[in-house]
Amino acid sequence: MLEVQHVSKIYEGKIAYKALTDIQFTIEDGEFVGIMGPSGSGKTTLLNMIATIDRPTTGEILIGNRNINKLRKNELAEFRRRELGFVFQDFNLLNTLTIEENIVLPLTLDGRPVREMKQKAAAIAERLGISSIMNKRTYEISGGQAQRTAIARAMIHSPQLLLADEPTGNLDSKSARDVMEMLEQLNQEEKKTMMLVTHDAVAASYCSRVIFIRDGHLYSEIHRGENRQAFFQKIIDTLSLLGGHSSDISSIRV
Amino acid sequence: MTFRQFAFNNVLRNKRLYAAYFLSSMFTVMIFFTFAVFAYHPALNSSDVNHNAQAALSTSKWLIYGFSFFFVLYSMSSFLKTRKREFGLLMLQGISPGQLRRMVFIENMWIGTGATIGGILIGLVFAKAILLIGENILVLDEKLNFYIPIQAIILTVISFLVLFVLISMFIAAILRSESLISLIRSQRAPKSEPRASIWLSILVIVLLAISYGVALLVDANLALQLLLPIIVMVSIATYLLFTQLSVYIIGSMKNRKSFFWRRTNMLLLSDLSYRMKDNARTFFLVAMVSTVSFCAIGTLYGLQALLVKSSTVETAASFPIAYTSMAGDATQSTNLQTIRQALSTAGIPSQEAHLALNQYKLKNDQTERIILSETAFNQANVLLGEQTVQLQGNQAVVITSSTARQTAEHQMLQKEVQLSNGVALQPTRVIFSQTIPGVSLALVVSDDLYKRLGTPASKADIYAWTTNASEKELIAVGKEMFSEDTFTQYGAYHILDFPSYTLYTVKSLYGIALFIGLFIGIVFFVSAGSFLYFRLYSDLDEDKQKFRSIAKLGLTERELNRVLTQQIALLFFAPIVVALIHGSIALTTLAHLFDAQLFTECATVLGIFFLIQLVYFFIVRFFYIKQVREALH
Repeated sequence: MLEVQHVSKIYEGKIAYKALTDIQFTIEDGEFVGIMGPSGSGKTTLLNMIATIDRPTTGEILIGNRNINKLRKNELAEFRRRELGFVFQDFNLLNTLTIEENIVLPLTLDGRPVREMKQKAAAIAERLGISSIMNKRTYEISGGQAQRTAIARAMIHSPQLLLADEPTGNLDSKSARDVMEMLEQLNQEEKKTMMLVTHDAVAASYCSRVIFIRDGHLYSEIHRGENRQAFFQKIIDTLSLLGGHSSDISSIRV
Repeated sequence: MTFRQFAFNNVLRNKRLYAAYFLSSMFTVMIFFTFAVFAYHPALNSSDVNHNAQAALSTSKWLIYGFSFFFVLYSMSSFLKTRKREFGLLMLQGISPGQLRRMVFIENMWIGTGATIGGILIGLVFAKAILLIGENILVLDEKLNFYIPIQAIILTVISFLVLFVLISMFIAAILRSESLISLIRSQRAPKSEPRASIWLSILVIVLLAISYGVALLVDANLALQLLLPIIVMVSIATYLLFTQLSVYIIGSMKNRKSFFWRRTNMLLLSDLSYRMKDNARTFFLVAMVSTVSFCAIGTLYGLQALLVKSSTVETAASFPIAYTSMAGDATQSTNLQTIRQALSTAGIPSQEAHLALNQYKLKNDQTERIILSETAFNQANVLLGEQTVQLQGNQAVVITSSTARQTAEHQMLQKEVQLSNGVALQPTRVIFSQTIPGVSLALVVSDDLYKRLGTPASKADIYAWTTNASEKELIAVGKEMFSEDTFTQYGAYHILDFPSYTLYTVKSLYGIALFIGLFIGIVFFVSAGSFLYFRLYSDLDEDKQKFRSIAKLGLTERELNRVLTQQIALLFFAPIVVALIHGSIALTTLAHLFDAQLFTECATVLGIFFLIQLVYFFIVRFFYIKQVREALH
């Protein structure tokens, strides 16, 4: 599904800075993968490259066997619109649009018929429990609702891959748990492939696999067994081995 | 939600963001339209209005249009800059470059159409005011009545639709080059603190000193020749002033902790040094544009003052119309016929006088002198109601038409004038008289003596008319006269002295220049204000955020007011003060060039500009502080 092959990223500047070195991993269809690491380890750089926001200096990234670095501008736009879904820490909703309009935006850009958009929006809103706020504006809703709206927007076009960058970073613990449960549910019931970058060990514990990065290198990866609680403990252990500052790991919210 | 609905909602629900762009576009349309209403006015397009004036109006119209283009382009690009993040988000959602361009295009067309219609409607209201002003400044016979300006409406609609289409395409091309990551990060990217070079800061002072020195101290004509290098130097200095010297000064203020760490100084200065670089280009632009408008308006106003002064200096009675005919003037009879015809057509009672104007050779040098007989001179004086002269023997009176020369001619009294045929004249006094048209220096002798002067070296005839007609009636006579195609004011063998009509033609030409100059100057000045407004409002969100977090630490309303007032005052007055200094230096040089005292005129013009800016400042300050304060609660 997703193949990251020998990817390196160097930021040019007065002092060239190597953010990622020879990263290589694959994500299979239907997997829910978390990427963790201390601040400055290159998690977000990696996510940005997979999200086609940034380009690797060397190496290739394939999504569904297509090399995303070789797509042209218009192809890229179409690819983002049809195959990728994004969820951000700060939601990134357009505050000029209503919740419903925000959700259908990817379909709108794709020029789908209005009826289809209405139908899909209603269905996904129902699932995520935001049907009642569809006509509100972004400043009238809570953080948890905003993030669910963002997830709805990321899911409405049934993308191949859903990418999330610290989706729980701005949420209180209850909303964070709701959001993670929702993502887990989408992953299990609809077999959506997802990738998540996070600091939050609790959020990571919802994944089926967690990949650790340190200083731009792959460090290790661990798989989830049956028990989420045990998986959470394993994540905490690995993080302490990773040796980032304890403050890099957000407070435990179980 | 279709794509079009999306684009539409985006505009409609984000009114405040679009408002500034919309208003400045509308303002531009309004300016152009009002000018077009004026330029297409039937009274200014009838055949008897000067061709030069018509050409000038038409050229200025396109000049304003060209300026509009850049102004709208600037507004548009500064407007788009505040929306970078939004574009990044949309691209992430998969908007294709084509769609993004289409969206910007659609938005622009809506705003453009709205601005065009709105501008024309407001312009219609303003048109009446402009026509009134025009009527007073221009020397026109007819009134500039309000009319339904269909031509102007059509021209404005077509020109601005073309302009908005062009700008939309232009902007769409610019959007293409930005990479997604830079768009998304545009708001988060921490800016590095600007640094200033001490050498470049010193260069500013050196360049300004040289330019000002040359402009003020060097002979005005030489300064005029050095105009181009001076302009280049001042431009460079102004640019560096804002990018280097100001940053340097702020930096050294920050180094003085006793000053920097005192109360709100830290807030103001730390922000300022970051913003200075962003603002530098706007400041530069505003300073240069304002300098140009100050100079344009100052020059025109000064020239007008000169014109008015010069037309009121000399006050002796003279013939309103005089025709001087030299020997060999073949057109004399037809020309005289034309003048008499014109006078009688206008129904103006007049008295005609004929003067023989003879020049006699002097004995010792080759110069010739005009000598008149007592009778002829007195006849003319009686017609004009001036005092007559009585002469005896070889006495002569020197007449001069210029008060300034009166003392200089006194030295003629000291010795006899020897004519080539041996007759000697003794000048006894000098009198100021403008009785003899077109003659600046002449002698008058008694009739007896006149007969003994012999044959003159050259001869001319003056035909002059006196009337009780008003200026207006005389101008009508002039028009009647010059409607005859063969009639000219200056020929190879004749001159027509007709002060009223000459002044009228100068004024009517000059009035157009003054009007256009004022108009363009005001356009420049107001748009400079708009540049500042845009600059300020692109910082509004940042300020809101900043003061929200500072307010949590404890910031009184008074302190907030003070910081913001200082910030806005600096933004509004830094470029204007620089422009005022540039402008006053330029106008001083100009006054030197014309050898005239234009201090009051220049001070008035610059003072008015400063006042307008002050009013502008208070209005903007009021709304800005209000908005920031609202964000705190």
